[in-house]
Amino acid sequence: MGALPSRFLQPITNRSARAAARGEGISLTGVSKTYRGRGTEVEALRDLNLDCPEGSFTALIGPSGCGKSTALRISLGLESHDGGTVRVAGKTPAEATRSGLTGVAFQDAALLPWRSVRKNIALPLEVLRRDPRAHEEQIAGLIRLVGLDGYENALPGELSGGMRQRVAIARSLITAPQVLFLDEPFGALDQIRRRSMNVELQRIWLETGSTALLVTHGIDEAVFLADRVVVMHANPGRVVAVIDVPFERPRTPDLFSMPEFHRLADHIAEVLHGT
Amino acid sequence: MDRRQFLGTGLAGLALTALPIRAAAASPLAMQAAWINDAEFSGYFLAIDKGYYPENGLELTYLPGGPDVIPESTIIAGRADLALTTPDTTTRAIAEQGAKFKIIGAQYQKSPHGIVSLKKNPIETPADLIGKTVAVPPVNTMTMEALLKVNGIARDQVNIVPYAYDPTPLVRGEIDASLDFTTNVPFTIGTLGEEAHSFLLYDHGVTIFNDTVVVTEDVLKEKRGDLVAWLRASRRGWEENLVDPAAYPPQWADTWFAGTGRTIENEIYFNTAQKGLILSDAGVFAMTDESIEHNIEALSAIGIRATRDMFDTTLLEEL
Amino acid sequence: MAHEASRAGMIRNVVVIVALWEIIGRLGLVAGGALPAPSGILLQLWADRADYPQHVLATVSGSGLGFLIGNVVAVLAGLIFVLMPATLRLLRGVNIAIFALPPIAIAPILNLTLSGMAPRVTLAALGVYFVTMSATVIGLSQYDTRSGDVVRAYGGGNWMVMRLVRLRGAVPDVLSGLRIAAPNAVLGAILAEFGGGGRWGLGSYLLGSLGRGDPFRLWGIGLVATVIAGLSYAVFAIISERVLGTTRSVTLNTAIPAPASALSPIGRLALACGAVLLPFVAWWAFVTFTGVPDMIAKTPLGVIDYLFVGDQSAIARQKLIAALAETLPVAFVGMVCGLGFAFLLAVLAQMSPAVIRAVMPIALFTQTMPLVALTPLLVLLVGRGYAVTMWITISVTFFPAFVLLVQGISRVPQSVLDLPRAYGATAWTEMRKVSIPAALPYLFAATRLTVPRALLGVMIAEWLATGTGLGNLLNQSRGYLDYGMIWTVASVSVLLSVAIYYAVLEVERATLKRLGMQMVE
Repeated sequence: MGALPSRFLQPITNRSARAAARGEGISLTGVSKTYRGRGTEVEALRDLNLDCPEGSFTALIGPSGCGKSTALRISLGLESHDGGTVRVAGKTPAEATRSGLTGVAFQDAALLPWRSVRKNIALPLEVLRRDPRAHEEQIAGLIRLVGLDGYENALPGELSGGMRQRVAIARSLITAPQVLFLDEPFGALDQIRRRSMNVELQRIWLETGSTALLVTHGIDEAVFLADRVVVMHANPGRVVAVIDVPFERPRTPDLFSMPEFHRLADHIAEVLHGT
Repeated sequence: MDRRQFLGTGLAGLALTALPIRAAAASPLAMQAAWINDAEFSGYFLAIDKGYYPENGLELTYLPGGPDVIPESTIIAGRADLALTTPDTTTRAIAEQGAKFKIIGAQYQKSPHGIVSLKKNPIETPADLIGKTVAVPPVNTMTMEALLKVNGIARDQVNIVPYAYDPTPLVRGEIDASLDFTTNVPFTIGTLGEEAHSFLLYDHGVTIFNDTVVVTEDVLKEKRGDLVAWLRASRRGWEENLVDPAAYPPQWADTWFAGTGRTIENEIYFNTAQKGLILSDAGVFAMTDESIEHNIEALSAIGIRATRDMFDTTLLEEL
Repeated sequence: MAHEASRAGMIRNVVVIVALWEIIGRLGLVAGGALPAPSGILLQLWADRADYPQHVLATVSGSGLGFLIGNVVAVLAGLIFVLMPATLRLLRGVNIAIFALPPIAIAPILNLTLSGMAPRVTLAALGVYFVTMSATVIGLSQYDTRSGDVVRAYGGGNWMVMRLVRLRGAVPDVLSGLRIAAPNAVLGAILAEFGGGGRWGLGSYLLGSLGRGDPFRLWGIGLVATVIAGLSYAVFAIISERVLGTTRSVTLNTAIPAPASALSPIGRLALACGAVLLPFVAWWAFVTFTGVPDMIAKTPLGVIDYLFVGDQSAIARQKLIAALAETLPVAFVGMVCGLGFAFLLAVLAQMSPAVIRAVMPIALFTQTMPLVALTPLLVLLVGRGYAVTMWITISVTFFPAFVLLVQGISRVPQSVLDLPRAYGATAWTEMRKVSIPAALPYLFAATRLTVPRALLGVMIAEWLATGTGLGNLLNQSRGYLDYGMIWTVASVSVLLSVAIYYAVLEVERATLKRLGMQMVE
């Protein structure tokens, strides 16, 4: 903690400045979405309500095709929705993303293969038409934060899967986002690496204090990271339960082996499988 | 010549292929030749080198031809003022397509086109062609048809294949004869170790000119004086060149004949062989009433309705 | 390691082929010495060394300028097509027409309407446009959608995705397009030189030398042309190899691309009509723009008038039909033989990679050797009957098809091949179950791509060797100043190419759909 330069932390930790934005995390109200193909219709989301208070960590869990990724993509303005309202930091998704209030990491690191680690992290700045040179310090700080010192100029092809994923996390933080979207960011990693990444993600998130929405398949991951786990079912995609996770922060890897952890995880699994 | 110089001239050659020969306050005139640079155009090369065109008030642009160049097209498109053509093509275009051409002179009194064969398997007369394979440049198919028609041979009695001006098939016996310039190809056949035999189409009823000087009626009207000047300068070039056909080609090895892939001996042979076909008692380019009559007769044999008014001899009369 | 070994094998094969050639040439075994020994060709090349620089310079500058212009236009067009897909549909007719243009039919037209270096440059540019344009479209379309999502997630629009992700991602595809396009530019320039009447250029040199009866020089010119084309191919192949490593995504994108936005039926109809009409509009505009007199330059209406209305139209139609009756069967049989042979050999090669190593050098050599330079040599080798037409047609269809098929089959993952083997399948079963179906889409793609080449090959053979069919009609018409026929042959050959292209496309769609397979672009 406290490893970040103060300039980096400032916009996020300045609670007084954020007071006006209180209650403006992520809110999806009555959102519906239907995919229409040739003669087929798939109801991806029906009347979805999801409220992530500011500064909270929410995990969205559900089987494949339950629309959890769709909900995240709608919140980012990557997909349109048919009905309902979506607010991210009090704005429409398009406004929020365009003003650089959001950060995102996908299941695949999706790094540009021809850009170095540093330049990949700077990509969102370029999209937002900010000058990457003015952010050199933040970039260096983030590279340290995700533990990639010395790899600043490496190309993605020279990194391991875990390292690439850490670059993606760093990239998602470069805009100092108020709202962080994580779409199965560790889905492609093995169980061991995934757990260590979970610990690191918690550390990083605590430092930034942003509102986080994590889409995941992994119950362990959801319980370890989130304040609340939102369980979804498919056909049509809808929320079936919101389960609070009461563990103290910062959570340590020991938590994975504690009986309370397993009890909660088992409960979520039951809700998930509808038994 | 070192390499750099060479590349330099190469670039220059590239850029200057169609650049006018400069002279002060001269009228520009462009001529389209019928073929790539060889001895067939010696008279013009000489007249250009010696400055006869500027002397006659002309700034001449010389455009070389090639197998795919249709000289008549160049003057229709207005890229040249006069062109050297084969009279059968030109008169047919006038008669059938209403092209507004006038023939104002003829370089060859007798067309050099002939049937070339090997001495060991000679084609002596048109009748010998029956049952044989003859290679004919597709653009000269009409000329070949004229020969057959005039001599009473049916088109299907002779096997006509395309000719790409390569004597190898003839030497190798793959074809029996070719329609080509008798002034040129026998030399090459000689270098390939065979002896050639040839006869002129002209001597067997195809009594036509060749390299006829053709202009459009518009150009004739607008540039009459320049055309007369061109005929005068060119005639002088030709006369001087033909005094000793071996004299000039060696001088053009690095200029006009550079890069054609042909030897200077070949050009001397060509220049010598064409002497009798060009010179006329009435002067180079002459078109006598008698010879025009012969042309019209020969052309009518293949169904081209050539008439006297396609030939305009008034410019020659001014010389 | 395997790469090294195959390269060594390739070099060994080239050495063996050259040595065999030398022996055959020395002993005059083929066609009474019409195939000269490489050493003799090199000696002649040395003797003619003073002639070459200017000719090479002219050809290289003509094809280079055309290559540059054609590719700039192609990349810009590809960019526009991807950003505005409607334009791609609208210009489909123009694109296919440019792809299907047999250069030999267009060369006389360009020489009639343009002057100086313009015909060479234009023909070279036309030769590269389609290849580079489609490579650009494919490269820009098949970008990593995940990277695109990252950009969009920060509010980036289409242009931002294009700038940051797609343009750079398309570089390898564009480069491989340029690699294939480069020899096309050389061929185009040489073909135009045949009719351009310029003094310099390898095409002009070849023509001047044809009358010399010197096979050593003819082969020398052919080889120089091949080397120019081959070098330009190699340059882009090397650059492309360098760039590929930093472009390919490390992980595989499994996301399914979103379907293209649907158009209203009226919009689609309008675009289709536009696509059909535009090539004719372009033709019209070209004729008007160049300002060449009506007698020489025919508009689409002029051709219709010539073929169906004018006094001579009956004769013209008769000539055209007679020529088509000669050309089409040969083209068809030659293509079927070439493609069938390529298919067979490619499938066999799958079982024995040595075959690939033996055939590939020859394939690449003949691919880069300009057809016009090859034809006179083939005439010397096999005479001027139907054999030469068949040979040319087979060679122009066989090699591209073979290269494409081998590439296609080699993309079949090893695991797929291992599966039948693991169940003890015989080589034949394996071929029937895996290799042949895997090669089928590539066979169709090869067929589509080689149609214009086959027509070009037949027409060149007819023009230079057999004196029959469309090629001869085109050539003879020039002798008769029959401009109407020149334009008719050009437009009919383009229309034919397009028609056959679409016919193959339909069969391909139906067959692959039935087999549940993907089309190859």
